[in-house]
Amino acid sequence: MLYLDNVSVGFDDAQSALAEADLRIAEGQRLLVCGAAGSGKSTLINVAAGLIPRLVTPPHFAGTVFVNGRDIGEFTKDELFATVGIVSQNVEEQLWDLHVEDTIAFPLENRGVEKQVIRDRLAELLDSLELRALSGRRVLTLSGGERRMVAIAAALASRPSLLVLDEPTTGLDPAARGRLVRILNELADEIPALLVSDQDPASLLETIDSVALLTDGRLTPAAPADSLVREEAPWRTAGVLPPHRRREARKPVTPGETLLSVSGLRTRLARPDGRPVLEDVGFEVRTGETVALIGRNGAGKTTLFQSVLGLSRITAGDIAIGGRKTDGWTAAQRARSIAYLPQNMRRILFNMTVLEEVVFAITASTGRKDDPEAAAKATATLEKYDLGPLAEKNPFALSARQQALLGLACAEAAETPLAILDEPLLARDIRGRDLLMLFLDTMRSSGRAAMLISHDLELIDDVASRTLILDAGKIVFDGDPDAGWTSPAFRTLGWPAPYSLLGEAA
Amino acid sequence: MTRLYDINFFVKLLAGFAMMLAAWFMPGWHYGVPLAAANVLFLALVRVPGLRGYLKGMTILVVLVIASWLVNLWVQGIAPAQGLPIAANMAARLVTTTAAFYFIMETSSPGSILAACSKAGLPPAVTLVLSLTFGIIPMLREDFERIADAQRARGMEVDNVPLHTRLRFALARGVPLLVQAIRMAHSISLSLSIYGFDMRRKRTTWRNVGLLVEPRLSLSTKDGNNGL
Repeated sequence: MLYLDNVSVGFDDAQSALAEADLRIAEGQRLLVCGAAGSGKSTLINVAAGLIPRLVTPPHFAGTVFVNGRDIGEFTKDELFATVGIVSQNVEEQLWDLHVEDTIAFPLENRGVEKQVIRDRLAELLDSLELRALSGRRVLTLSGGERRMVAIAAALASRPSLLVLDEPTTGLDPAARGRLVRILNELADEIPALLVSDQDPASLLETIDSVALLTDGRLTPAAPADSLVREEAPWRTAGVLPPHRRREARKPVTPGETLLSVSGLRTRLARPDGRPVLEDVGFEVRTGETVALIGRNGAGKTTLFQSVLGLSRITAGDIAIGGRKTDGWTAAQRARSIAYLPQNMRRILFNMTVLEEVVFAITASTGRKDDPEAAAKATATLEKYDLGPLAEKNPFALSARQQALLGLACAEAAETPLAILDEPLLARDIRGRDLLMLFLDTMRSSGRAAMLISHDLELIDDVASRTLILDAGKIVFDGDPDAGWTSPAFRTLGWPAPYSLLGEAA
Repeated sequence: MTRLYDINFFVKLLAGFAMMLAAWFMPGWHYGVPLAAANVLFLALVRVPGLRGYLKGMTILVVLVIASWLVNLWVQGIAPAQGLPIAANMAARLVTTTAAFYFIMETSSPGSILAACSKAGLPPAVTLVLSLTFGIIPMLREDFERIADAQRARGMEVDNVPLHTRLRFALARGVPLLVQAIRMAHSISLSLSIYGFDMRRKRTTWRNVGLLVEPRLSLSTKDGNNGL
């Protein structure tokens, strides 16, 4: 079905993004490629899907790619993308402001398929991918998980021979990950072969049959998933957290004074049935704490923090920062006490260089951008988070992971008492996890606090000193993480407890 | 309101041109100003998205147009009292024209424009240009607002400052907006490539298209007019 023969790709002279890779996928095979951020996964995926070198021509490309026994160079562009369906890691990169049905039908409309055939296929895909509820909505107003499912439907519309998914579990809550796996299994007849790249092997074990590991552009031969998953060393060598790793001991915390206090918060933003997204939310964050917030996709986690920051209107409730009520405070005044790092860091970057972003974070309140001390501090912080060599790059040229690290650097340099991390995309490999831990330790040891919104329950189990569960517009659990995993509120979510594969769930 | 979104793009475009012609052929401000006011009132009644921003921009436009015409006429020897009706009529024409096309832009999604063009059998290049021209501006406006929110969320005071500082910050959003526009163009280009868009091949559409354009796939997928 797919054969990569000795493929090398280089974007600069220094190092190959992919080096002499050989890969075979037979009909019926479902292969997972795992590797740390920057290991070359996306490059491999883009080669397999034909984006490289067909749409993106790197300075260095060698080797041959065969699809269905034919050299990929012999395909017309249209033939190629009808044969291989791809869903990118950053799914926004292949979507624009169309409605759900338009997006799914787009490949068929463009190929001049008859209307009734398109409508039948559209109905089939909406039903099989459980997307009926999203019918008629604009794709860009959907949650990340919903967008991904719509993009998968669009990729399947032309009945490709090979489906290629780049990091498909990004941003999905555990239930949505389970649904994705179930749907991929149910659509086995629709998907003759599957190639997936991800940093989270555990979520996909039930839909893949083999795994290849990628380290610094070098690919290991594919091995049966069943056997590889029981080992630890190969994953660590590849810089990936092993799927069956041991639970880590949490650092003890002594909370200090209250930094953020929210009570009775109700949002103006409402759900389609008219109920406010958040109805009666209350919680506190104290110095030294790392507080985790979990909840389903669409539960209102992001809305909560936009409300705290004054970016989303509230109709009731009190918010106090550092013991002072924030009534009448502008969003900028609040932001000087709370650093907010969204999942998609692109949303809050607007300076022209990485260094300027950090200097801006330091000088936002004073406006003295030319302060040499600020520049020195910014440079040192960038070095701490592996971003020193990228200081003069445009922030939009960074990878999603590097942008997340830039967010950490900005938050640390700004010295805000509280940082809110909304689903950081860097904790899924060993180095990224280490840098996140470094940030959280810095916050804790300097008498500050962090809030972490994440669907990575093992990360939460590792780092959180307290867990909040948001459901039905309210905080339904607030307490110790261990107690959280056994609480009725957590059971209501229907998610598996972290580390349960080892029987170590609390 | 939803039905206004569903009206065929070309019907709206035709109505917009008709309104513009009416505005430009009005004999004087007695007719032009009420027509402009009626258009703005219509936008308010149907709750067109982003109306507040449009009104702000329009107010600046009206002030600038009237002032520049008064000065121009005064230089030609016409007193402001006599020049005012002429200037007001010119401003009214612009208000009517912009209001009509603002309505078309805000109530026509790229998908519905693609459907209307495909049904009309227009060449793919024309289809693409029309969809992008009318569909991208609301997206860029949303991006402009999002960048302002990003500035606020990073601690930049863009609200509680004098007007001239606010304007300076608004201008500073131009660069990131340009970067976003380039990214958007990249996304659209990638989407067109991987989803088989071909300038030489006529497109079809899944939607039923008549005076109205079907907004969502009905449970019964059979091709029919579905009341459209």
